[in-house]
Amino acid sequence: MLSSLRTGVKGLWRASSRALQTSSTLQHDSLFVHRDTPEDNPNIPFEFTEQNQKRVDALLAIYPEGHKRAAMIPLLDLAQRQNNGWLPISAMHKVAEILNLPRMRVYEVATFYTMFIRRPIGKYHVQVCTTTPCWLRGSDAVLNAIKEATGCEVGGNSPCGKFSLSEVECLGACVNAPMLQVNDDYYEDLTVEDTKEIIEKLKKDEKPLPGPRSGRFASEPLGGLTSLTEEPTGPGFGVQDGLKA
Amino acid sequence: MLRQPLSRALALSSPARVAPLAARRYADAVPAQPEKVEVFIDDQPVHVLPGTTVLQAAAQVGVEIPRFCYHERLAVAGNCRMCLVEVEKSPKPVAACAMPVMKGMRVKTNSDLTRKAREGVMEFLLVNHPLDCPICDQGGECDLQDQSMAFGSDRSRFTDIHFSGKRAVEDKDVGPLIKTIMTRCIHCTRCIRFASEVAGVDDFGTTGRGTEMQVGTYVEKMFLSELSGNIIDLCPVGALTSKPYSFAARPWETRRIDSVDVLDPLGSNIVVATRTNEVLRILPRTNEEINEEWLSDKSRFACDGLKRQRLVTPMLKDSRGNLAPVEWEDAVVAAARALRDCPPDKLLAVAGGLADAEALVALKDLLNRLGSEHVCTEHYFPTQGAGTDLRSSYLLNTKIANVEDADFVLLIGTNTRFEAPLLNARIRKAFIHKETDVALVGPKVDLTYEYTHVGDSASIVKDFASGTSSHEVMKRLQQAKRPVVILGADQLKSEEGPALLAYTQELAHKLQENLQDKEWKVLNVLQRTASQVAALDIGYQPGVGQALAAGPKVVYLLGADSGVVTRESLPEDVTIIYQGHHGDVGASIADIVLPGAAYTEKRATYVNAEGRAQQTLVAVSPPGKAREDWKIIRALSEVLGAGLPYDTLDEVRDRLSQVSPALVAYGDVQPNNYFAQARALAQSLQKPVSGKLDVQLKQLEDFFMTDAISRASPTMAKCVQAVLKQKNSPY
Amino acid sequence: MAGTGRETVRAAIRQVRPIMSTDFWEARRRALGLYKAFYRYIPYIVKYFDIPKTENDCRWKIREYFYKNACVTDIRVIDLLVLKGYMELKEITHSWSQKGHIMAYWQPTVERKPCDFICKFLTGVD
Repeated sequence: MLSSLRTGVKGLWRASSRALQTSSTLQHDSLFVHRDTPEDNPNIPFEFTEQNQKRVDALLAIYPEGHKRAAMIPLLDLAQRQNNGWLPISAMHKVAEILNLPRMRVYEVATFYTMFIRRPIGKYHVQVCTTTPCWLRGSDAVLNAIKEATGCEVGGNSPCGKFSLSEVECLGACVNAPMLQVNDDYYEDLTVEDTKEIIEKLKKDEKPLPGPRSGRFASEPLGGLTSLTEEPTGPGFGVQDGLKA
Repeated sequence: MLRQPLSRALALSSPARVAPLAARRYADAVPAQPEKVEVFIDDQPVHVLPGTTVLQAAAQVGVEIPRFCYHERLAVAGNCRMCLVEVEKSPKPVAACAMPVMKGMRVKTNSDLTRKAREGVMEFLLVNHPLDCPICDQGGECDLQDQSMAFGSDRSRFTDIHFSGKRAVEDKDVGPLIKTIMTRCIHCTRCIRFASEVAGVDDFGTTGRGTEMQVGTYVEKMFLSELSGNIIDLCPVGALTSKPYSFAARPWETRRIDSVDVLDPLGSNIVVATRTNEVLRILPRTNEEINEEWLSDKSRFACDGLKRQRLVTPMLKDSRGNLAPVEWEDAVVAAARALRDCPPDKLLAVAGGLADAEALVALKDLLNRLGSEHVCTEHYFPTQGAGTDLRSSYLLNTKIANVEDADFVLLIGTNTRFEAPLLNARIRKAFIHKETDVALVGPKVDLTYEYTHVGDSASIVKDFASGTSSHEVMKRLQQAKRPVVILGADQLKSEEGPALLAYTQELAHKLQENLQDKEWKVLNVLQRTASQVAALDIGYQPGVGQALAAGPKVVYLLGADSGVVTRESLPEDVTIIYQGHHGDVGASIADIVLPGAAYTEKRATYVNAEGRAQQTLVAVSPPGKAREDWKIIRALSEVLGAGLPYDTLDEVRDRLSQVSPALVAYGDVQPNNYFAQARALAQSLQKPVSGKLDVQLKQLEDFFMTDAISRASPTMAKCVQAVLKQKNSPY
Repeated sequence: MAGTGRETVRAAIRQVRPIMSTDFWEARRRALGLYKAFYRYIPYIVKYFDIPKTENDCRWKIREYFYKNACVTDIRVIDLLVLKGYMELKEITHSWSQKGHIMAYWQPTVERKPCDFICKFLTGVD
């Protein structure tokens, strides 16, 4: 009886918090319908460059006849790289033409994967991991530092147009948390100063050194090696006498 | 509970469907049916062929498993998860629509686990489904409503409503026919599968993922297909509804009358939903032989043309030359006077595309009693050679359903996509599922499937017929075990028409002689209108050209609206009597107008392109002073003194059966023969042909307004405008 | 004796109290007025009550009803009939009576239904 009373009271309390009519909350930063904009419309022609065309042919050659459809994701990625990091609608049309598929199938694939960006993006796509390990190690500070340094909102482009900032899920470098990814490079073991340094360098179009900023190599332990401290053992280590050759 | 009855699931998994060869008695060696496996559904044993799914096996027993995404005529998706049932020895419930049966499987469709699974799935579906039932058109015929009542739980645990609320999705604009409210979409993907498989227009897809997945066209594109209205039937919820029918009525308010559609020559079976003597909407009725369960857009949405431009009173030309409304007596007397005063050989009757068999026979009888033999149809058919005496020369001899078993289809001068959309859907079905190939002789049109375009010159047919063609299609034709040749009847109106028909008959005969299967017919002629076959059966002369040239004095138009008969082509003193239901081309040139009933307002017989007689039933009463067509003719005959010997519909139908028993054998197709004789009679007509074959309906915008009813329909006008607008779009 | 009889008779043929009209011509005027009133309301009858009769049918019916009483000479009776007629007209104009009441004037059980084809056709019976 008491529990139902409690539920009733809670219900009343909750009801008041949404009593105002509001539009529904947005649960994703991208809109999964296409709107024609001056930068992104089907009248802007897209062609693969000569070199990329060779890559296209190589990609198509991997897959047997009748299964060329499997080359869709690599082709879309190639188109995205050619187009400065984002995928215009005319590129999707081109890929559909190459693979002889209906355009809708390409739209479906391109919108499914989050790495296909469907809006114009800056030269440097700064992706900050904010999931648990990185968050515990201070990714909030990193994110704020980037926001200040570039002037980007999360999910948007900077006023100068060079940077785009997005919060992404775990990038797999948890040992080196906090970290961020710029285009294809990881910058790990960051502090706020490191972050600012990276952004300054990128502003000058110099490539900062990728990898951990704390001096260690990849994800080796900070305090020195805890395993693999000796020479590796040779064959026959630990094998019983009876089995030794 | 389920929108489509159990009998459908059974029919589609019945032996006739699973092994069509056995049921259709082809002479091909039928492979022995594999041994059946025994499955236990709720402890009831049932023997099924291997490869049937648990859902179909349960349907055989009589157990309906609820589902949203599964549809018998579409590929299996298995994404709604509503069909989960418990299978013994399986750790989790299995999706019955996708799981093929195994020997000795024990399926429990009503156990605790199954019920819990169903309640859970329903709960999840309802989490993001808006509370739109009062304003949703699908209310009352909604699968979600029915299944949540039958299988869902009674309370919701969705507390997030107080925080972030339910998901909402933008509406998509897919055209003037389909209203999309995508918030209600449950992502069953039936529309996507239909558009991709049956309609052939791959415009629908799922973009995004997770909560934000949206079903739509991604870009602003219209769903341009002649079968687009069927996704309204398919959608289990109110996401895709009919725009012309929106907010019109609830299904329990409507009366549903079975009928037949006459706007295309196939005679698709329909259900006319009416309320207060007004046709609200037209839905398809399942008929495996003709339209399966699809219906073309024109047949579905042109029903609002039945309310506009109607002739509701008899009219006579007054002293100033304007048509003025009069009473029936005056009109009948004036018409009778004109008919009586006309010399018999100057009396002409022309039957239009929507005329029913009863009116046709009454008109012919009347004219014959008055001494005239000039009863014609608007559309031409060559009368040289066998002409219309041998029925097999002007029908679809390979029946519509059998076309899906063909292995090569040759289309000559016909765009089946717009002339007979459901026949095209069958060819597409054969193309997708059975590796049928198609070749087309004629203008290059989009048929929704790939075909070999042989060319558009009529001499190609000559080369095929004489075997001198070196095209690869010739070889395919000769090697095919079940070839089908479809000739469009429009091609036969030129001077080369008889020769073209003769060559086609020659080709079909040659192919048929070499077939192993003696029951298979190759030659098909696709007529353009619903009345042509009945008229030719009754004995009408095809084509008015000759009769018009002879200079008639009185012309009786029975719904003749295609513009073939014009005042300019007739002498000055002609009297034109028009009997029809719409104020279209025919009524505008008439001197006497007699208002008739449209196809939803009379009980009438129509014979479809295969020669199958079907009847329409009365759904609403004719508006104003309109009467049934055969009754007008009978009244005229009585006033004239040449009284026709029938007073009731049954007596007219007796007269029809006197003319040809096939006309009253409703629902059956008579097997036709005499191909060899027809070809022998036509051999002398095989003259050289040089013309180009062209079709009338090339683009989608030509499809919507082809007859009096669709020309009067505002929905069809909106469709044409939308299609033209879409042409300027880059997508 | 005879003289008293004649006086009694003369006294008997005296003026009775008129209902409305005092002489025949006035009564005739009233009757014609009623006829005209009905005649002029016919289009509205046909329209508002939606009866399956034409205006011509209604005119002939009114004529028929008036002719039924053509032989009446007594002025008071004529007045009463005219009054009754006005009462019915009032019921019709105010729509107190309905379609059934109007159609009853045609007395369907007395008037024959169409039975042969042409009559059925012209009246629109199935």
